[in-house]
Amino acid sequence: MRELVLIQPGRTLEGPTAREHERVRADREFEERLTECGPLAFRVAYGVLRNAADAEDVAQEALLKAYRNFGRLREPARFRGWLVRIAFRMALDRWRSVKRREKRETQGEQSEPRAAGPTVEELAVSSEFQARLERAMEELPEKFRLVLLLAAIEGYTLEEVSGMLGIPMGTVKSRLFFARKKLAEKLR
Amino acid sequence: MSCEGYRDKLIVTLASGAGSLDGDVATHLGTCAACEKFYEAQVNLFGAIDSGLRAMVNEAVPASLLPRVRARVAEAGTPHGAWGFSWGFAAVAVAAVLLISVGLLKQSPDSRNKVNDRIPVVFQGARDAKEVTPEQPRVIAAGPKMVAAPSVRVTAPEVLVLAEERAAFEKFVKNLPEEREVAVAFTRPATDAKDEGVEIALLQIDELDVKPLESANR
Repeated sequence: MRELVLIQPGRTLEGPTAREHERVRADREFEERLTECGPLAFRVAYGVLRNAADAEDVAQEALLKAYRNFGRLREPARFRGWLVRIAFRMALDRWRSVKRREKRETQGEQSEPRAAGPTVEELAVSSEFQARLERAMEELPEKFRLVLLLAAIEGYTLEEVSGMLGIPMGTVKSRLFFARKKLAEKLR
Repeated sequence: MSCEGYRDKLIVTLASGAGSLDGDVATHLGTCAACEKFYEAQVNLFGAIDSGLRAMVNEAVPASLLPRVRARVAEAGTPHGAWGFSWGFAAVAVAAVLLISVGLLKQSPDSRNKVNDRIPVVFQGARDAKEVTPEQPRVIAAGPKMVAAPSVRVTAPEVLVLAEERAAFEKFVKNLPEEREVAVAFTRPATDAKDEGVEIALLQIDELDVKPLESANR
Protein backbone atom coordinates (compact mmCIF):
# COMPACT_ATOMS: atom_id res chain seq x y z
CA MET A 1 0.00 0.00 0.00
CA ARG A 2 1.38 3.44 -0.89
CA GLU A 3 1.54 6.14 1.70
CA LEU A 4 -0.09 9.41 0.74
CA VAL A 5 1.10 12.60 2.35
CA LEU A 6 -0.84 15.82 2.20
CA ILE A 7 1.44 18.81 1.83
CA GLN A 8 -0.18 22.19 2.01
CA PRO A 9 1.45 25.37 0.74
CA GLY A 10 3.32 27.21 3.49
CA ARG A 11 3.46 24.18 5.74
CA THR A 12 6.32 21.84 6.46
CA LEU A 13 6.17 18.13 6.06
CA GLU A 14 5.22 16.57 9.36
CA GLY A 15 4.85 13.15 10.87
CA PRO A 16 6.92 10.00 10.55
CA THR A 17 7.95 10.69 6.94
CA ALA A 18 9.59 13.97 7.87
CA ARG A 19 11.30 12.31 10.78
CA GLU A 20 12.50 9.52 8.54
CA HIS A 21 13.90 12.04 6.05
CA GLU A 22 15.67 13.85 8.86
CA ARG A 23 17.14 10.64 10.16
CA VAL A 24 18.44 9.63 6.74
CA ARG A 25 20.00 13.05 6.31
CA ALA A 26 21.60 12.92 9.78
CA ASP A 27 22.98 9.45 9.05
CA ARG A 28 24.46 10.65 5.79
CA GLU A 29 26.07 13.64 7.50
CA PHE A 30 27.44 11.46 10.25
CA GLU A 31 28.94 9.10 7.70
CA GLU A 32 30.76 12.05 6.12
CA ARG A 33 32.14 13.15 9.47
CA LEU A 34 33.09 9.59 10.36
CA THR A 35 35.14 9.16 7.19
CA GLU A 36 36.78 12.54 7.66
CA CYS A 37 37.44 12.51 11.40
CA GLY A 38 37.63 8.80 12.34
CA PRO A 39 41.38 8.60 11.57
CA LEU A 40 41.98 11.81 13.49
CA ALA A 41 40.33 10.36 16.61
CA PHE A 42 42.46 7.23 16.28
CA ARG A 43 45.68 9.21 15.90
CA VAL A 44 44.99 11.42 18.90
CA ALA A 45 44.27 8.32 20.98
CA TYR A 46 47.34 6.58 19.63
CA GLY A 47 49.49 9.58 20.47
CA VAL A 48 48.52 9.14 24.10
CA LEU A 49 48.28 5.37 24.40
CA ARG A 50 50.98 4.18 21.96
CA ASN A 51 48.99 1.00 21.44
CA ALA A 52 46.94 0.47 18.28
CA ALA A 53 44.34 -1.84 19.80
CA ASP A 54 43.66 0.44 22.75
CA ALA A 55 43.64 3.49 20.50
CA GLU A 56 41.11 1.83 18.21
CA ASP A 57 38.85 1.03 21.14
CA VAL A 58 39.04 4.59 22.39
CA ALA A 59 38.42 6.05 18.92
CA GLN A 60 35.41 3.80 18.54
CA GLU A 61 33.94 4.88 21.84
CA ALA A 62 34.58 8.52 21.05
CA LEU A 63 32.91 8.23 17.64
CA LEU A 64 29.94 6.43 19.12
CA LYS A 65 29.60 9.16 21.71
CA ALA A 66 29.75 11.71 18.91
CA TYR A 67 26.97 9.87 17.12
CA ARG A 68 24.81 10.01 20.21
CA ASN A 69 25.37 13.76 20.46
CA PHE A 70 25.19 14.42 16.77
CA GLY A 71 22.24 16.75 17.15
CA ARG A 72 24.45 19.50 18.49
CA LEU A 73 27.60 18.53 16.60
CA ARG A 74 26.45 18.74 13.03
CA GLU A 75 28.63 21.69 12.22
CA PRO A 76 31.86 20.12 10.84
CA ALA A 77 34.33 22.29 12.78
CA ARG A 78 32.44 21.77 15.99
CA PHE A 79 32.26 18.04 15.44
CA ARG A 80 35.99 17.76 14.81
CA GLY A 81 36.96 19.81 17.84
CA TRP A 82 34.58 17.96 20.11
CA LEU A 83 35.78 14.61 18.84
CA VAL A 84 39.44 15.50 19.29
CA ARG A 85 38.88 16.62 22.85
CA ILE A 86 36.74 13.65 23.81
CA ALA A 87 39.17 11.17 22.20
CA PHE A 88 42.08 12.80 24.01
CA ARG A 89 40.28 12.75 27.35
CA MET A 90 39.17 9.14 26.97
CA ALA A 91 42.66 8.11 25.90
CA LEU A 92 44.13 9.81 28.95
CA ASP A 93 41.67 7.98 31.19
CA ARG A 94 42.56 4.68 29.57
CA TRP A 95 46.27 5.48 29.81
CA ARG A 96 45.97 6.24 33.52
CA SER A 97 44.18 2.98 34.22
CA VAL A 98 46.79 1.07 32.20
CA LYS A 99 49.55 2.76 34.17
CA ARG A 100 47.88 1.94 37.47
CA ARG A 101 47.61 -1.69 36.43
CA GLU A 102 51.23 -1.79 35.31
CA LYS A 103 52.33 -0.21 38.55
CA ARG A 104 50.50 -2.83 40.55
CA GLU A 105 51.98 -5.63 38.47
CA THR A 106 55.54 -4.37 38.57
CA GLN A 107 55.52 -3.24 42.17
CA GLY A 108 58.80 -4.07 43.83
CA GLU A 109 60.73 -4.41 40.61
CA GLN A 110 63.49 -1.87 40.08
CA SER A 111 63.89 0.01 36.81
CA GLU A 112 67.03 -0.64 34.86
CA PRO A 113 69.66 2.10 34.97
CA ARG A 114 69.70 4.17 31.79
CA ALA A 115 72.76 3.75 29.56
CA ALA A 116 74.67 7.00 29.22
CA GLY A 117 76.68 8.40 26.36
CA PRO A 118 74.83 8.12 23.02
CA THR A 119 74.81 11.22 20.86
CA VAL A 120 71.63 13.07 19.96
CA GLU A 121 71.79 11.63 16.44
CA GLU A 122 71.99 8.14 17.80
CA LEU A 123 69.22 8.81 20.25
CA ALA A 124 66.98 10.11 17.51
CA VAL A 125 66.77 6.75 15.83
CA SER A 126 66.81 4.63 18.95
CA SER A 127 63.81 3.27 20.69
CA GLU A 128 65.25 4.52 23.94
CA PHE A 129 64.95 8.07 22.75
CA GLN A 130 61.37 7.38 21.75
CA ALA A 131 60.67 5.99 25.19
CA ARG A 132 62.22 9.03 26.84
CA LEU A 133 60.23 11.29 24.58
CA GLU A 134 57.04 9.52 25.58
CA ARG A 135 57.88 9.85 29.23
CA ALA A 136 58.66 13.52 28.77
CA MET A 137 55.33 13.99 26.96
CA GLU A 138 53.47 12.35 29.82
CA GLU A 139 54.90 14.92 32.19
CA LEU A 140 53.62 17.85 30.14
CA PRO A 141 50.40 19.59 31.10
CA GLU A 142 47.46 18.17 29.14
CA LYS A 143 46.71 21.31 27.14
CA PHE A 144 50.30 21.48 25.86
CA ARG A 145 50.33 17.81 25.12
CA LEU A 146 47.18 17.96 23.01
CA VAL A 147 48.45 20.87 20.94
CA LEU A 148 51.74 19.09 20.39
CA LEU A 149 50.02 15.91 19.23
CA LEU A 150 47.61 17.70 16.91
CA ALA A 151 50.38 19.79 15.38
CA ALA A 152 52.36 16.62 14.69
CA ILE A 153 49.51 14.91 12.85
CA GLU A 154 50.11 15.06 9.13
CA GLY A 155 47.68 17.09 7.12
CA TYR A 156 46.66 19.57 9.79
CA THR A 157 47.95 23.11 9.85
CA LEU A 158 48.25 25.26 12.95
CA GLU A 159 45.18 27.21 11.78
CA GLU A 160 43.22 23.99 11.75
CA VAL A 161 44.50 23.06 15.21
CA SER A 162 43.41 26.47 16.40
CA GLY A 163 39.96 25.91 14.90
CA MET A 164 39.65 22.42 16.35
CA LEU A 165 40.44 23.53 19.87
CA GLY A 166 38.62 26.83 19.63
CA ILE A 167 41.64 28.81 20.79
CA PRO A 168 43.44 31.71 19.09
CA MET A 169 46.34 31.04 16.79
CA GLY A 170 48.71 32.91 19.15
CA THR A 171 47.75 30.57 21.98
CA VAL A 172 48.44 27.53 19.81
CA LYS A 173 51.88 28.89 18.96
CA SER A 174 52.77 29.78 22.51
CA ARG A 175 51.66 26.38 23.78
CA LEU A 176 53.74 24.69 21.09
CA PHE A 177 56.76 26.80 21.98
CA PHE A 178 56.45 26.04 25.66
CA ALA A 179 55.92 22.32 25.03
CA ARG A 180 58.88 21.94 22.67
CA LYS A 181 61.15 23.89 25.01
CA LYS A 182 60.12 21.72 27.96
CA LEU A 183 60.65 18.54 25.98
CA ALA A 184 64.11 19.68 24.91
CA GLU A 185 65.01 20.49 28.52
CA LYS A 186 63.96 17.04 29.65
CA LEU A 187 65.75 15.26 26.81
CA ARG A 188 68.95 17.31 26.74
CA MET B 1 76.37 39.16 25.25
CA SER B 2 77.82 36.01 26.78
CA CYS B 3 77.75 32.59 25.17
CA GLU B 4 74.99 31.63 27.64
CA GLY B 5 72.82 34.48 26.38
CA TYR B 6 73.35 33.45 22.75
CA ARG B 7 72.52 29.84 23.61
CA ASP B 8 69.24 30.92 25.24
CA LYS B 9 68.37 32.85 22.11
CA LEU B 10 69.20 29.79 20.01
CA ILE B 11 66.87 27.60 22.02
CA VAL B 12 64.04 30.13 21.81
CA THR B 13 64.46 30.29 18.03
CA LEU B 14 64.47 26.52 17.64
CA ALA B 15 61.59 25.93 20.07
CA SER B 16 59.42 28.47 18.30
CA GLY B 17 60.05 26.74 15.00
CA ALA B 18 61.43 29.88 13.38
CA GLY B 19 63.71 28.93 10.53
CA SER B 20 66.39 31.61 10.59
CA LEU B 21 68.57 32.87 13.41
CA ASP B 22 68.89 36.50 14.38
CA GLY B 23 71.79 38.34 12.77
CA ASP B 24 73.82 38.78 15.97
CA VAL B 25 73.36 35.13 16.95
CA ALA B 26 74.43 33.95 13.52
CA THR B 27 77.48 36.21 13.69
CA HIS B 28 78.43 34.82 17.12
CA LEU B 29 78.13 31.24 15.89
CA GLY B 30 80.60 32.07 13.13
CA THR B 31 83.17 33.11 15.72
CA CYS B 32 82.49 30.65 18.61
CA ALA B 33 83.16 26.98 17.93
CA ALA B 34 81.62 25.84 21.22
CA CYS B 35 78.33 27.63 20.52
CA GLU B 36 78.38 26.36 16.94
CA LYS B 37 78.67 22.81 18.30
CA PHE B 38 75.90 23.49 20.83
CA TYR B 39 73.70 24.85 18.04
CA GLU B 40 74.18 21.73 15.93
CA ALA B 41 73.34 19.52 18.89
CA GLN B 42 70.17 21.51 19.56
CA VAL B 43 69.10 21.38 15.92
CA ASN B 44 69.47 17.61 16.07
CA LEU B 45 67.60 17.41 19.34
CA PHE B 46 64.62 19.46 18.11
CA GLY B 47 64.66 17.49 14.85
CA ALA B 48 64.57 14.25 16.82
CA ILE B 49 61.69 15.54 18.94
CA ASP B 50 59.71 16.48 15.85
CA SER B 51 60.30 13.19 14.10
CA GLY B 52 59.54 11.30 17.34
CA LEU B 53 56.25 13.16 17.70
CA ARG B 54 55.31 12.47 14.11
CA ALA B 55 56.05 8.79 14.62
CA MET B 56 53.95 8.91 17.75
CA VAL B 57 50.77 10.09 16.07
CA ASN B 58 50.94 9.14 12.41
CA GLU B 59 50.36 5.46 12.95
CA ALA B 60 48.46 3.70 10.17
CA VAL B 61 44.76 3.70 10.98
CA PRO B 62 43.44 0.14 11.30
CA ALA B 63 41.12 -0.79 8.43
CA SER B 64 38.68 -2.23 10.93
CA LEU B 65 38.04 1.08 12.71
CA LEU B 66 35.35 2.59 10.49
CA PRO B 67 33.45 -0.66 9.78
CA ARG B 68 33.36 -1.39 13.50
CA VAL B 69 32.04 2.08 14.27
CA ARG B 70 29.39 1.70 11.56
CA ALA B 71 28.33 -1.63 13.01
CA ARG B 72 28.03 -0.17 16.48
CA VAL B 73 26.12 2.82 15.16
CA ALA B 74 23.71 0.44 13.45
CA GLU B 75 23.28 -1.41 16.76
CA ALA B 76 22.74 1.85 18.61
CA GLY B 77 19.83 2.74 16.31
CA THR B 78 18.42 6.22 15.94
CA PRO B 79 20.92 8.96 16.69
CA HIS B 80 20.02 11.31 19.44
CA GLY B 81 20.54 14.02 16.88
CA ALA B 82 17.31 15.77 16.11
CA TRP B 83 15.35 13.97 18.80
CA GLY B 84 17.95 13.70 21.50
CA PHE B 85 17.00 16.96 23.06
CA SER B 86 13.31 16.23 23.02
CA TRP B 87 13.87 12.84 24.68
CA GLY B 88 15.98 14.49 27.33
CA PHE B 89 13.34 17.13 27.79
CA ALA B 90 10.65 14.46 28.06
CA ALA B 91 12.64 12.59 30.71
CA VAL B 92 13.08 15.78 32.73
CA ALA B 93 9.39 16.59 32.38
CA VAL B 94 8.35 13.14 33.60
CA ALA B 95 10.72 13.40 36.56
CA ALA B 96 9.33 16.85 37.43
CA VAL B 97 5.72 15.61 37.25
CA LEU B 98 6.57 12.68 39.51
CA LEU B 99 8.27 14.92 42.04
CA ILE B 100 5.35 17.33 42.09
CA SER B 101 2.88 14.45 42.48
CA VAL B 102 4.81 13.00 45.39
CA GLY B 103 5.01 16.44 46.98
CA LEU B 104 1.26 16.98 46.63
CA LEU B 105 0.50 13.54 48.00
CA LYS B 106 2.65 14.22 51.03
CA GLN B 107 0.89 17.48 51.69
CA SER B 108 -2.70 16.36 51.15
CA PRO B 109 -4.78 15.79 54.30
CA ASP B 110 -5.83 12.38 53.08
CA SER B 111 -2.29 11.18 52.98
CA ARG B 112 -1.64 12.59 56.43
CA ASN B 113 -4.64 10.75 57.77
CA LYS B 114 -3.37 7.60 56.15
CA VAL B 115 -0.06 8.04 57.88
CA ASN B 116 -1.78 8.67 61.19
CA ASP B 117 -3.90 5.57 60.73
CA ARG B 118 -0.84 3.44 60.39
CA ILE B 119 0.78 4.74 63.58
CA PRO B 120 -0.39 3.05 66.76
CA VAL B 121 -0.31 5.75 69.42
CA VAL B 122 -2.10 6.02 72.70
CA PHE B 123 -3.53 9.47 73.30
CA GLN B 124 -2.62 10.40 76.82
CA GLY B 125 -4.55 13.57 77.05
CA ALA B 126 -6.15 16.44 75.24
CA ARG B 127 -2.80 18.15 74.83
CA ASP B 128 -1.35 15.15 73.04
CA ALA B 129 -4.26 15.14 70.66
CA LYS B 130 -3.27 18.48 69.21
CA GLU B 131 0.03 17.31 67.84
CA VAL B 132 1.10 13.76 67.58
CA THR B 133 4.85 13.67 67.61
CA PRO B 134 5.88 10.17 68.46
CA GLU B 135 9.59 10.91 68.43
CA GLN B 136 9.95 8.93 71.65
CA PRO B 137 8.36 5.59 70.92
CA ARG B 138 5.47 4.92 73.27
CA VAL B 139 4.73 1.40 74.26
CA ILE B 140 1.28 0.03 74.58
CA ALA B 141 0.46 -3.20 76.29
CA ALA B 142 -1.51 -5.06 73.70
CA GLY B 143 -1.99 -8.51 75.16
CA PRO B 144 1.11 -10.64 74.74
CA LYS B 145 2.66 -8.25 72.24
CA MET B 146 4.19 -4.85 72.87
CA VAL B 147 3.44 -2.38 70.12
CA ALA B 148 5.87 0.49 69.73
CA ALA B 149 5.07 3.64 67.86
CA PRO B 150 7.55 4.34 65.07
CA SER B 151 9.51 7.56 65.32
CA VAL B 152 7.78 9.53 62.60
CA ARG B 153 6.92 13.15 63.06
CA VAL B 154 3.31 13.76 62.11
CA THR B 155 1.43 16.97 62.56
CA ALA B 156 -2.32 16.57 63.00
CA PRO B 157 -4.43 18.45 60.46
CA GLU B 158 -6.21 21.52 61.73
CA VAL B 159 -9.97 21.31 61.49
CA LEU B 160 -12.89 23.34 62.79
CA VAL B 161 -15.07 21.47 65.29
CA LEU B 162 -17.98 22.36 67.48
CA ALA B 163 -17.21 23.20 71.10
CA GLU B 164 -19.23 20.25 72.46
CA GLU B 165 -17.57 17.87 70.02
CA ARG B 166 -14.18 19.07 71.18
CA ALA B 167 -15.12 18.66 74.84
CA ALA B 168 -16.44 15.17 74.18
CA PHE B 169 -13.31 14.21 72.32
CA GLU B 170 -11.09 15.52 75.11
CA LYS B 171 -13.10 13.51 77.62
CA PHE B 172 -12.81 10.46 75.47
CA VAL B 173 -9.07 10.88 75.10
CA LYS B 174 -8.68 11.49 78.82
CA ASN B 175 -10.43 8.26 79.69
CA LEU B 176 -8.77 6.25 76.98
CA PRO B 177 -5.69 5.07 78.99
CA GLU B 178 -7.99 3.60 81.63
CA GLU B 179 -9.95 1.69 79.06
CA ARG B 180 -7.20 -0.41 77.68
CA GLU B 181 -9.37 -2.63 75.56
CA VAL B 182 -10.81 0.34 73.79
CA ALA B 183 -7.36 1.83 73.33
CA VAL B 184 -6.02 -1.37 71.88
CA ALA B 185 -9.04 -1.66 69.61
CA PHE B 186 -8.42 1.86 68.36
CA THR B 187 -4.73 1.45 67.81
CA ARG B 188 -4.64 -2.05 66.40
CA PRO B 189 -4.05 -1.95 62.66
CA ALA B 190 -6.85 -3.26 60.55
CA THR B 191 -6.35 -6.85 59.48
CA ASP B 192 -6.46 -7.75 55.85
CA ALA B 193 -8.67 -10.75 56.49
CA LYS B 194 -11.18 -11.25 53.75
CA ASP B 195 -14.86 -11.84 54.40
CA GLU B 196 -15.69 -15.47 54.37
CA GLY B 197 -18.84 -16.80 52.81
CA VAL B 198 -21.70 -17.26 55.22
CA GLU B 199 -23.79 -20.35 54.95
CA ILE B 200 -27.46 -19.89 55.67
CA ALA B 201 -29.16 -23.07 56.76
CA LEU B 202 -32.75 -23.64 55.81
CA LEU B 203 -35.29 -23.13 58.56
CA GLN B 204 -36.36 -26.53 59.81
CA ILE B 205 -39.59 -26.98 61.71
CA ASP B 206 -39.99 -30.44 63.16
CA GLU B 207 -43.53 -30.42 64.44
CA LEU B 208 -46.28 -28.13 63.46
CA ASP B 209 -49.14 -27.93 65.82
CA VAL B 210 -52.17 -26.36 64.17
CA LYS B 211 -54.87 -25.15 66.53
CA PRO B 212 -58.17 -23.61 65.58
CA LEU B 213 -58.61 -19.95 66.42
CA GLU B 214 -60.53 -19.23 69.55
CA SER B 215 -62.71 -16.75 67.79
CA ALA B 216 -63.72 -19.45 65.34
CA ASN B 217 -65.08 -21.62 68.23
CA ARG B 218 -67.32 -18.89 69.40
